Amino acid sequence: MSGLTIDADACVGCGRCVRACGSAGVVVEGERGARRARVTDGCILCGACVDACPVDAISIERAAGDAALIDLSAHRDIWVFAQTDAEDRVLDVAFELLGRARELADERGCALVALLAEGAGDPGASSARQLVAAGADTVLRCRDERFSSRDAGVFAEWVCALVRERKPETVLFGATVFGRELAPAVAVRLQTGLTADCTVLAIDPETGLLQQTRPAFGGNLMATIVCPRRRPQMATVRPGVFAAPAPDPSRAGEVVDVELDCGAAPRMRVLSVAGSAAGDSIATAEVLVVAGRGIGSKKRLPLVRELAEALGAQVGCTRPLVEAGWLEGWQQVGQTGVSVAPRVLLSLGVSGAIQHVAGISGAQTVIAVNDDPAAPIFASAQYKVVGDCVSFAEELLELLRA
Amino acid sequence: MRIVVCVKAVPGSTEVKMDPKTNTIVRDGGAAVINPFDAAALEIALRIKDKLAIEGEPCRVTVLSMGIPATESLLRDCVARGADAALLLSDRAFAGADTLATTYALSCGIARLEEPDLVLCGKMAVDGDTAQIGPELAGSLGVPCAAGVAALDAVGLRAVTVEREVDGGMATVEVPLPAVLTVAKDAAQLRFASIAGIRAAEGARVDVLTASACGADAARTGLAGSPTQVVRSFVPERIERGVTIEGDAAAQARAVAELLEAMA
Amino acid sequence: MRGIRDWAPEFDEYRRDESRTMGEASSISFPTDEAELRAVLAELERTAPDAPITVQGARTGLAAGAVPHGGHVLNLSRMNRYLGLRRDEGGAFHLRVQPGVVLAELRRLLAAKALPQAGWDAASLAALDALYGGPAQFFPTDPTETSACVGGMAACNASGARSYRYGPMRPHVSALRVVLADGDVLDLRRGEHRAHGRTLELVTEGGRALALDVPGYTMPRTKNASGYYAEDDMDAVDLFIGSDGTLGIISELELVLSPEPCVTWGINCFFASEAAALDFVSAARPRLSCAAALEYFDGSALGILRSARSGCAAFVSLPAVPESFAACVFVELECDDEGRAYDELECTGELMRSVGGSEKDSWVARTDVDRERQRLFRHAVPESVNMLIDRRRRTAPAITKLGSDMSVPDERLHDVVALYRRTLAEAGLESATWGHIGNNHLHVNVLPRDERDYAAGKELFRSWAREVTAMGGAVSAEHGVGKIKRDFLLAMYGSDAIDEMARLKVALDPRGRLGRGNLFDEARLDAAVAAMRKGE
Repeated sequence: MSGLTIDADACVGCGRCVRACGSAGVVVEGERGARRARVTDGCILCGACVDACPVDAISIERAAGDAALIDLSAHRDIWVFAQTDAEDRVLDVAFELLGRARELADERGCALVALLAEGAGDPGASSARQLVAAGADTVLRCRDERFSSRDAGVFAEWVCALVRERKPETVLFGATVFGRELAPAVAVRLQTGLTADCTVLAIDPETGLLQQTRPAFGGNLMATIVCPRRRPQMATVRPGVFAAPAPDPSRAGEVVDVELDCGAAPRMRVLSVAGSAAGDSIATAEVLVVAGRGIGSKKRLPLVRELAEALGAQVGCTRPLVEAGWLEGWQQVGQTGVSVAPRVLLSLGVSGAIQHVAGISGAQTVIAVNDDPAAPIFASAQYKVVGDCVSFAEELLELLRA
Repeated sequence: MRIVVCVKAVPGSTEVKMDPKTNTIVRDGGAAVINPFDAAALEIALRIKDKLAIEGEPCRVTVLSMGIPATESLLRDCVARGADAALLLSDRAFAGADTLATTYALSCGIARLEEPDLVLCGKMAVDGDTAQIGPELAGSLGVPCAAGVAALDAVGLRAVTVEREVDGGMATVEVPLPAVLTVAKDAAQLRFASIAGIRAAEGARVDVLTASACGADAARTGLAGSPTQVVRSFVPERIERGVTIEGDAAAQARAVAELLEAMA
Repeated sequence: MRGIRDWAPEFDEYRRDESRTMGEASSISFPTDEAELRAVLAELERTAPDAPITVQGARTGLAAGAVPHGGHVLNLSRMNRYLGLRRDEGGAFHLRVQPGVVLAELRRLLAAKALPQAGWDAASLAALDALYGGPAQFFPTDPTETSACVGGMAACNASGARSYRYGPMRPHVSALRVVLADGDVLDLRRGEHRAHGRTLELVTEGGRALALDVPGYTMPRTKNASGYYAEDDMDAVDLFIGSDGTLGIISELELVLSPEPCVTWGINCFFASEAAALDFVSAARPRLSCAAALEYFDGSALGILRSARSGCAAFVSLPAVPESFAACVFVELECDDEGRAYDELECTGELMRSVGGSEKDSWVARTDVDRERQRLFRHAVPESVNMLIDRRRRTAPAITKLGSDMSVPDERLHDVVALYRRTLAEAGLESATWGHIGNNHLHVNVLPRDERDYAAGKELFRSWAREVTAMGGAVSAEHGVGKIKRDFLLAMYGSDAIDEMARLKVALDPRGRLGRGNLFDEARLDAAVAAMRKGE
């Protein structure tokens, strides 16, 4: 019987499991001094209590009968789905994946295969060669007009047919918008496991078991996941996690042209595509430059804007700047303005009023510049730059333009 | 039109900390809430219903969840906000499900309902962040999936037109029905319940089905039906807080430029 | 940072507060504890013995109480430590803090059970264990501006939405330390120093005996933050709460915590007319026993919010307010269990129907997400009006929003609203009204389009001060009188009463230096100072 087991000898009855549980799946009961945790019917086997237990008394047991449902040894090789853009250019994330997968394949002693689906654009396209140069031993290429629809269903049919025929041990996808749509469509058709958005991949050279580490709870928790009983094991990997290898044009590899099943057809119709517009919202900005009263004068705003442009950032500000009419209300960052969650926030001359700080708590990295070393903003910053924000901004802009 | 909205109960807070004394993970999420992405999906469904009501078309919105018995109160809240019916799949046999086993359970639940024209899910859940349920459900139902829907442009009985995210921008897509849509969090704000809605929901029925009652194969549900398993969880190490960047303005700018490059 | 610093442009923000008026000063200090504060006073005594001293906290006040009037600015925002905790015989917790503690932070630290405990004694730490081990506690006074500091809140006897249930700041303060203008200190604990009739005798820590004549007027029986608290046999603590920084400097205060309610539900009830909303409030007061707040938003406020919603990214998460909604009453229910809350909810629906409304026209928040959106809605109303005024200021820089702060007794609610509506229409002024309708305390905000409107609005407020006083109301219910409502205070109590207040002030502050410009005009205060000298 699989389920949550609590080692009564190890349990100290501290109750951390109870607090960690979101479903009243564990209680602590018994006389004072002999209190022990007990699992209840509410348990959903989420593992929160396992993580919370300070004495490793809790574990999730799996029934011995859960043996592999398929012959694991029939599967070999690592595959990478090489996503292309509308012009059939291979995305960077595919090269990044090939770089890491090459290392994994070498550890495991297996081949690395790239999947390339081209919408029958340029017959002389060099994508397949680039994939070989990036580490692929084999490129399975299919040129078919139906791919130009970008319909994940069509791609899924194609990948599944190849997997069923050639039985890879591992299939990796970039965690792009498209990759995160395609990978689950493939996984469900093959009834196998899929780990989304991995940031770390490692392999057991003996068994080929892939250790897939991914963030959960909005990045607050990391989990390492394996797929021991089904093949292929599948994962998506965030762009930018691995470095793309330097291409080696002398590498040898084969390009195998394969077919797309004649039954596969796009079902969704793309009416129009619009590039991502900056829009008038700073809420979704990836990079944000926030100006505060410390910039001193309205005349410094062009400098702030130029700096933002050089950084590919949007401009936000604090309330006094809006009140002074220097910038617009939609640019106000803070509790009464907009809450922001950029990857990088460069804060210039912001003192850090509570209302403002509350609005930037979602930022991943805050770099704050202020001439007052005691400015409250520094308590919210990972990087503190004590100094005049205007001269700093001028220096930085010069460097970025160089 | 028949619409099913899949909702998940998630912790009210996704804050995770490390207990420095015991080196264990502290997840004090507080009361469960409807996953915010699913709340947006429900609002989209209710807007479709409002729109069709103007055209005189009947529309029935059913909320579906796999969860513990206490999830019933969240489903009742969905009814208070305008859903017509609620179905909860609740059974120990569902416990420990990964996305594949969850997809299977939900598809069993959907099979118990009259064939829906539209299945709406949140794009992802804030606790799992996988964004896999919608596309997997579409694959399992054999229907197309438009993921990351940010806006609904047009609703017809045969197809819907949506704006959805694609790599590098947004696309306007016509999706034939039946279909699965997964909805971005900002696509819509779930409406408030009214006093009238809450009073009506008090008397409404929330159907609760066990795994066997919805005809699920035990080997495909819960822990047993989950190909993936978590072997370790840990709190990631953060960048050390408050690193002071020394030097004059030029030196500081150089350091920050390098920093920005490293983070790009 | 701790001594007296000459004025420099970098301090210019300390010349103003949220009233958006500006003052002047020649020096400023930022003491971090009572000893430093007293050292500043001693230094001033030596270098500038007659300089006015303006006490500042977070400068969130709306009555210019913290705007300097020449002389020295004593900014207490860095006196923001948590000093200790005690539990009384009744089980209530009393948190001892410095005046610069900010409300939002206090709330957050209490909720997160993360009060800083550096330097606490064993008794405080034991009380803290009891606090964290028991049911959650909170501090109930809730002015809209949560970046206010508790010293400032005590100085103006602040209140907020939940004052309908909890009253203003006053009952939630159990002890004060007050530094007098000469640096001597009064250590006051509620219940220990009471007046006999209208005579209050106090002894300072320096051993000086003070005999104070409490003014003889009768305060209105409504929510009130106008002038000194004066009552037979009153507690000395109450004299300093609401004294607008004119009697002494609060250097420590003890806040009484309250148990957090088990269930809090918010309901926005919408009506097709203002009349229906007023009828609803009158009907709801005796019926809703769990109501913690009854707040109002009129049609004009909803209209401004509607247009702001389409233009401001911060407001897009607000639900659309249909055009048919012409008035809104927000009800907050605090109950011991969900069953009780549900009963009160049903009752609210019934009350809506009884005044011709529909219980479908309501937004009920039972989750944190919904409560947060309701909070945003309530904040977005004043915020969107501020944005509107900011736009108008670009063409008419002299104007500001004119907000009233008057309260009347329950039975005069319909009368006072009729007065507002009639006179606003006669004067041809735009307005937006919201506020604490449960306490018959509405903020009528005149939205001037030009300088003429601005002048007309000021004149209108003066006439309201007289009418509201005649109804048995108060000219300032929560913001305090500060510098900008002195005329109203005069209209409310009359000249003799103000002179009584001034005499009380100079008994504690013989040279009339503290909070100069607050409550009294200079001529009146100087006359009281001169009379005092003559008497000596």
